Amino acid sequence: MKKKFALILLVLLTLTIVLGACSSTGKGDSSKITIGIAQDLEDSLDPHRAVAAGTKEVLFNVYEGLMKPAPDGSVIPAVAEKFEVSQDGKEYTFTLREGVKFHNGDPVKASDVKYSIEKIAGMMGDKPRISAFSLIEAVNIEDEKTIVIKLSEPNMELPYHLAMTNAAIIPESNKTPDTVAIGTGPYKFVSRSPQENIVMESFDDYWGDKPFIKDVIFKIEANADTLVMDLMGGSLDMFKHMTKTQVDQLDDNFRIYEGTANLVQALYLNNKEKPFDDIRVRQAMCYATDKEGVIKLAFDGKGVPIGSAVIPAFKKYYMPELNDVYTYDVEKAKELLKEAGYENGFNMTITVPSNYDPHVKTAEVLVEQYKKVGINAKLELVEWNSWLSDVYGDRKHQSTIVGTDPSSMTARAMLERYVSDSGKNFVNFSDERYDEIFKKAISTVDDEESTICYKQLETILTEKAASVYIQDMAEFVALNKKFDGYTFYPMYIIDVSKIKPAS
Amino acid sequence: MESIKKNKKLMAGIVITSIVFILAFTGKIYTPYDPNEMDSTAKMASSSLEHLLGCDNFGRDIFSRVISGLGNTMMIALGTVGMGVALGTIAGAVTGYYGGLLDEILMRFNDALLAFPSILLALLFISLIGAGKYNVILSLGIVFTPSYARIVRSEFLRVRNLDYVSSARLMGASDARVMFVHILPNAYRVMLSTIAIGFNNAVIAEAGMSFLGIGVQPPDASLGRMLSEAQTYLFVKPSYAFSIGLIIVLLILGFTFISEGLEEI
Amino acid sequence: MKYVIKKFITMLITVFFVSFFVFIAFQIIPGDPATAMLGTEATPDEVAALRVKLGLDRPILVRYGEWLIAFFFGDMGKSYSYGISVKEMIGNKIPITVTLTLMSFLMIVCVSIPLGIYLAEHKNSPITRFIDGLNRVIMAVPAFFTGIMLTFIFGLVFRLFTPGGYVSYERNLPDFLYYLLYPAIAIALPKIAMTVKLLKSALLNEAELDYVRTAFSRGNTTRQVIYKHILKNALIPVITFLGMTLSDIVAGSIIIEQVFSIPGIGRLLITSISNRDYPVALSIISMVAFIVIFINFLVDLLYKYIDPRTEG
Repeated sequence: MKKKFALILLVLLTLTIVLGACSSTGKGDSSKITIGIAQDLEDSLDPHRAVAAGTKEVLFNVYEGLMKPAPDGSVIPAVAEKFEVSQDGKEYTFTLREGVKFHNGDPVKASDVKYSIEKIAGMMGDKPRISAFSLIEAVNIEDEKTIVIKLSEPNMELPYHLAMTNAAIIPESNKTPDTVAIGTGPYKFVSRSPQENIVMESFDDYWGDKPFIKDVIFKIEANADTLVMDLMGGSLDMFKHMTKTQVDQLDDNFRIYEGTANLVQALYLNNKEKPFDDIRVRQAMCYATDKEGVIKLAFDGKGVPIGSAVIPAFKKYYMPELNDVYTYDVEKAKELLKEAGYENGFNMTITVPSNYDPHVKTAEVLVEQYKKVGINAKLELVEWNSWLSDVYGDRKHQSTIVGTDPSSMTARAMLERYVSDSGKNFVNFSDERYDEIFKKAISTVDDEESTICYKQLETILTEKAASVYIQDMAEFVALNKKFDGYTFYPMYIIDVSKIKPAS
Repeated sequence: MESIKKNKKLMAGIVITSIVFILAFTGKIYTPYDPNEMDSTAKMASSSLEHLLGCDNFGRDIFSRVISGLGNTMMIALGTVGMGVALGTIAGAVTGYYGGLLDEILMRFNDALLAFPSILLALLFISLIGAGKYNVILSLGIVFTPSYARIVRSEFLRVRNLDYVSSARLMGASDARVMFVHILPNAYRVMLSTIAIGFNNAVIAEAGMSFLGIGVQPPDASLGRMLSEAQTYLFVKPSYAFSIGLIIVLLILGFTFISEGLEEI
Repeated sequence: MKYVIKKFITMLITVFFVSFFVFIAFQIIPGDPATAMLGTEATPDEVAALRVKLGLDRPILVRYGEWLIAFFFGDMGKSYSYGISVKEMIGNKIPITVTLTLMSFLMIVCVSIPLGIYLAEHKNSPITRFIDGLNRVIMAVPAFFTGIMLTFIFGLVFRLFTPGGYVSYERNLPDFLYYLLYPAIAIALPKIAMTVKLLKSALLNEAELDYVRTAFSRGNTTRQVIYKHILKNALIPVITFLGMTLSDIVAGSIIIEQVFSIPGIGRLLITSISNRDYPVALSIISMVAFIVIFINFLVDLLYKYIDPRTEG
């Protein structure tokens, strides 16, 4: 009997070793790339319903709008070949590109474009998926190649909104866009396995430059702590959102690209919640925050400190001087707290989504910094979906650390959330002058005037200390040396079609 | 006393556990550095006389964090065992002593709890009440209750019809008195070694939960969470992960020896 | 037969308890799946409409009844997050976790039983002492720490496997099994140590009983005595232990799946709980609990078979 067991054991062991020897890992194969992403696509595959930046980042490769963003921050024609805008800024005429095909082989027709735009604009009984699309009055098919979009008010930013993943053109014939992804992008969707991966394949009939890599796997890498091991071990070829500390652990098999995350990372304070309903306390928080310290400790010195809600990539609107309004000053913070009646400090809770490691690390540093002014901060780590519903949706929080991204390349996308009645105003900021100037900013056709307005808005946010703005995080992309050509966008995007095998 | 001294396993267990306890206790009142204090000049510093085990990615002293995390882990384990034993003893005593319908119902409930893998159940509780030190104690305490209840119950089942119990009852002792004064002391040896094992289970469960990120919350140190974070630095600083692993192993080893030693008495 | 029926009814009652308990628990969990599904830009009207669509506005007991009946007919509903049927989702993952569990269980049985017998036979040899010592240390190492060390040593230093390089069983079965080997070892090791210890002491205890002495006095050899008499009795506590261990192994795999990035049930469960994807979480937890309960039922029967004295 003993011998039998020993034999079984032996057989098992040999079997596994043989199995191990047989398994080929396929090293050096550059027709296939595995890209790690921090979270699964939580939402449906319908691009119009995508909310999370992490979802749009991936779907960008499958879908395109009439326009699409370019790496330099401008927008270029995609499904449309060109467009003209009328004198009064209320009528856009798009000429569709010749030979654009959907992934199912059907050519893109004018009716598909009309269907998509009307669906996003909420003209089919739904809510508008993009707030600026509520201006759309009608979408008319002039002929098979021409589409006219009529607006109720003039708007110069429409092409930018049309370049969002949320504004993708999808076929009218697809009755189940939630589960079947058909777009016009360089990659076509093959399959998804929840909490495991999303598989894509290059689209042979793509109208533009053909992508270099045939097979793309987005692998869900939920645990930030095993990320470095998986890159080194070879199961991942690329990961986009890495910190300097993580990148430093990698060996020289990786090409490292340094860029910016294009997020406004801040300690968002709930302006309706005590004690942050008092502007003096909010200002004290700003003085008590050592942004440089955060960047040094948690990000190895990489990151651009900011003083308001606009990222440096928006050069036209960005105001670097706002960063100097609240310089790190413990004494001043204490003074302000004393004035507000919190001489002995107070207790506060910072809610942080646990799957975003950089925010957790930032929070850990802030807790230490606030001890110096007598504020006793406690961390509460929550799952991303709890954060979405409780903090963002129900606004049940005292303060939270996240990064907010512009959903389109407009200042409006960054500043709209501070309007009193905005659905995105999860900090409950409320200022009459702000609301007035915002209205003026979005309705004017004069570019110079609107820029001035947006800058005023930024300044108000800083003066009123709407939140404690920390930084636009540096972002490191690790790419296996088998590949080359990663390209940054001033938005939250992974463009796989630009990546090519290393020569 | 003599028999305890001769019991090598028990002695070894007591020595190891005492060392770990002293470390943990020291961690509560004194650490070479504030375990949460960050120092940008000491990021990822290697071992030296100043920093015995070096520093982590925030420049925090790893040794200070390990012993303070040890304290947290021990506290949770003690709390869990205390709660489990208290609830389990009462449930086991009542069901074992009275039997009948109550026994049937409570035991079904017990079986239901035992049917869940412990981590799964703890996870379920944590999603109800949220993460954090005290919630971990609460959920693990409930999760481990059935195992104690089972042992106490079987001990009561075995003893309840023995002569001395019947005679105590005949002499007019109240049920509660019979249960807790006459029967329970007989169960103590089985209980003691179960408690030692239970302590180990609690340590592993807490470390596992913190490892998954649902136990002790940062910035507080916890062995499980630190172990998870240390994975990133395995190549550059393997000592980080290994020192934490070692202290967990020592902690558990001590109680294993104690439990084995107790069984031999 | 009466015993079997009694145990069977007991099992059904437990199933009922468990499912009700879990179902209720998910009603109390703070947070609303409708909000979670619609994301940040939803209006209250949209949320309310979705709640009605999902049936969240009806009384708890009605929903429980419907759910239980549907569950037993194999209909586990649709995932809130993914919009595909839960059955399809879990169906994909269950083989992974079951394989992992079976692999580690097989390792435990195949290693610990011969080893336990060997150690009991040679209770005074230096090898036994060494293994006893080693055993105690192994018992003290949590599975996830073993997992990290295996990853480090075999994955990164010796490059025998690719950390995180999980291969789906549909794509390549041998690769899949090979990848699961390491996590299975991590789960099995501490359990092997415990089983060996338990079996050894059970064998030694039995050996001191009267009937064993009688057997020896009849002139049987040590080996004959062990296999004919002692082993059967000594296996009773071991079987109980292994039965209980199975639920531990399932639990262990939840954590180990995180260490080795295996997309099994564990990972799906953790994400579905945090995403409030009730149908998925509820189905997984019930499924696991039912499997464990069923195994306990089998263990009870086996127990009765080996040791007919067992009281109901």
